[in-house]
Amino acid sequence: MLDDPKLDVRFPATGHVPVDGLLGELGGGLDVGDERVREFLAAFGRRLLRPALARRHPELGSLGFFLRPSELARTVEGLGTEHVRVPRGLVFHIPPANVDTVFVYSWALSALMGNRNVVRLSPRSGAVAEVILETLHEALTGADPVIAATQRIVSYGRSDGITAALSAACDLRVVWGGDVTVGELRRHPLAPHARDLVFPDRSSFAVVRAAAWLCAPRAARVTVAEGFVTDTYWFDQAACSSPRTVFWVGAEGDCDAARADFCEHVARVVAVRGWGVDAAMAVEKRVSTYGLAADGLAESVEFRGNALANVTLAAAAAAPRRWLGAGTFAHARLGSLAELVPLVERRDQTMTHFGFGGDELRELARGLAGRGVDRMVPVGSALSFHRVWDGFDLPAEFTRLVTVIR
Amino acid sequence: MGEAEREVALVRELAALTERHRQACPPYRRILDAIGAEPPYARLADLPWLPVRLFKTHELRSVREDQVFRVLTSSGTTGQRPSRVYLDREAAAAQPRMLAATLREVLGERRLPMLVVDTRSVVRDPTLSARGAGVLGMMNFGRDHTFVLDEQGRVDAEAVKGFLARHGGGRFLVFGFTFMVWQHLLGLGADLSQGVLVHSGGWKRLAEQAVGNAEFRGRLAAECGLTRVHNFYGMVEQIGTIFLEGPDGDGLYCPDFADVVIRDPETWQEAPTGEPGLIEVVSTLPTSYPGHVLLTEDLGVVRGVDDGCWPGKRFEVLGRLPRAEARGCSDTMGRA
Repeated sequence: MLDDPKLDVRFPATGHVPVDGLLGELGGGLDVGDERVREFLAAFGRRLLRPALARRHPELGSLGFFLRPSELARTVEGLGTEHVRVPRGLVFHIPPANVDTVFVYSWALSALMGNRNVVRLSPRSGAVAEVILETLHEALTGADPVIAATQRIVSYGRSDGITAALSAACDLRVVWGGDVTVGELRRHPLAPHARDLVFPDRSSFAVVRAAAWLCAPRAARVTVAEGFVTDTYWFDQAACSSPRTVFWVGAEGDCDAARADFCEHVARVVAVRGWGVDAAMAVEKRVSTYGLAADGLAESVEFRGNALANVTLAAAAAAPRRWLGAGTFAHARLGSLAELVPLVERRDQTMTHFGFGGDELRELARGLAGRGVDRMVPVGSALSFHRVWDGFDLPAEFTRLVTVIR
Repeated sequence: MGEAEREVALVRELAALTERHRQACPPYRRILDAIGAEPPYARLADLPWLPVRLFKTHELRSVREDQVFRVLTSSGTTGQRPSRVYLDREAAAAQPRMLAATLREVLGERRLPMLVVDTRSVVRDPTLSARGAGVLGMMNFGRDHTFVLDEQGRVDAEAVKGFLARHGGGRFLVFGFTFMVWQHLLGLGADLSQGVLVHSGGWKRLAEQAVGNAEFRGRLAAECGLTRVHNFYGMVEQIGTIFLEGPDGDGLYCPDFADVVIRDPETWQEAPTGEPGLIEVVSTLPTSYPGHVLLTEDLGVVRGVDDGCWPGKRFEVLGRLPRAEARGCSDTMGRA
């Protein structure tokens, strides 16, 4: 705070202001599910779905879909009505620097719940973030002035002073960004009544029933392979919900046959979609997979070009949680779904699945008893954002309840 | 030794080393098993390589712990673990001997008076930096060591003047890191025409100022009369092996016990002469750790084979491969 650092207000773009100026000018007056916010978000979402834009940045298409009016209505209507639900107040969001769309999901749900929001967008955010900001400004043109009065997206370089001031002023701090970030942010105290909503480092895996794969018609297998490729290659397999290990469930022969066929299909989809990796990523993958072999965790390492690497784990318990480079898949066999229970860790987030019934999955969820795995979704849906995320019902987290009994 | 002859001899020795390390280093054996590497190896390019970064992430040695005589570590950029290279008595003795054999080509048989383009404090620091270790290693090849910079890092013109008064009439050795040489030697205004400059350490900082090798050599010749200039390329993971620039500045040459393979990072096949790729370095010196066939993260290109002033391949280092960055969900503020 030596030289009174300023924030760059990027939405609504108004230039540089000191942090107390920013906090002073933020107005209030929104309700939970406010019609004016819904109109603005819907207008913004519609623009994201323009074919040219969605083609260029498919993740913006997903975001636009998430913001369609019926989905927003469902979110608002899904809130319980037993108590009077009110906004939390001022919400400070710290999204990850390297997944450009996350901040919008977090912010949009919080705005829909009637909060004032300050989103800290990294100064090194990518091209997609720029497109999002432009599109937000387009949507702002026809929006009620209350939007501009209550919502801010800002950037600032390393400044503990600004982070401390925003932390002290907010009613809820939302930290998306891994263990290191959570630790750093926790150095800055919140007001006594305020709380953190944190999303630390997570890791994800896929589970496939071998027999179901082998029985599935070709078209279905192609669709699953396409979904798997989307789940993994979209964010260089580094998104917390992108699977890193594939567990094959069934008899050994079935698992070997299913895995071989699956890898064929995945290789074909990767080739058709033109997913490639650059030389730096290719080297990264060699370093990480050779390292697994050196440690005795990998029995075999097989490269199909640079884009696809398959690792056979020495044991299912050796499943790596860390990032191994884009398009690197560890494989292991399980006799039954229940064998997963002792393997799951707190940091396991999303389990993408194929070939299992709802009852089996619910039984597994109960068996895990909250020790890990917050989402079980079909292969292909790993990256689909949902208002319930990491075990939190976000609209509920973004609001308070007032008990009214007469 | 011409390239064809060299390759035959090296493949035989390196294949034997591969099997020796396979027996003696379990993590190395597990890697070879996992990737299915099996002899026979007909060409250098057929030998299984290790990514050099594995020496940062893993302990790889082919001798028992009680036989380790020295552990070398690399500088390692911030946030990265340094490489660790394990030498037994034999490997530790071989590396300076082979380094000397390589340098003899340009320095001659006798120790030369030596001008060091650095400060004495760099070799006195108890936690010796990579720069200090490099200076200390080269000091074995000279005598009457004189440092161009004083303890505060300022040019010590008097010391240089004294050195040249004593030795400037005959051949002497000048050693320094490339950017230090550029920064401090040019402005010196001294007559270094009898000197032999050996320099290393990479071109990154000069490339930032858009200074290439031709300009580097040209300015040294014009301003200091320094025309015997030899850059070299080498790494701690293959200690004792250096690739020394030829007298005409037409590329880096391989000593008889080493070679390079430039690999196309898409196909991993050997790239033809003139095509850039990743530099793989091979050397028979790493006997106590499996570092005899290493894929670096440096980009390079072979400029010619058996067509320069020395036999074998001559190549150029083009720069460093950037580190792969993930677009993950984590790391919000880490490097903001």
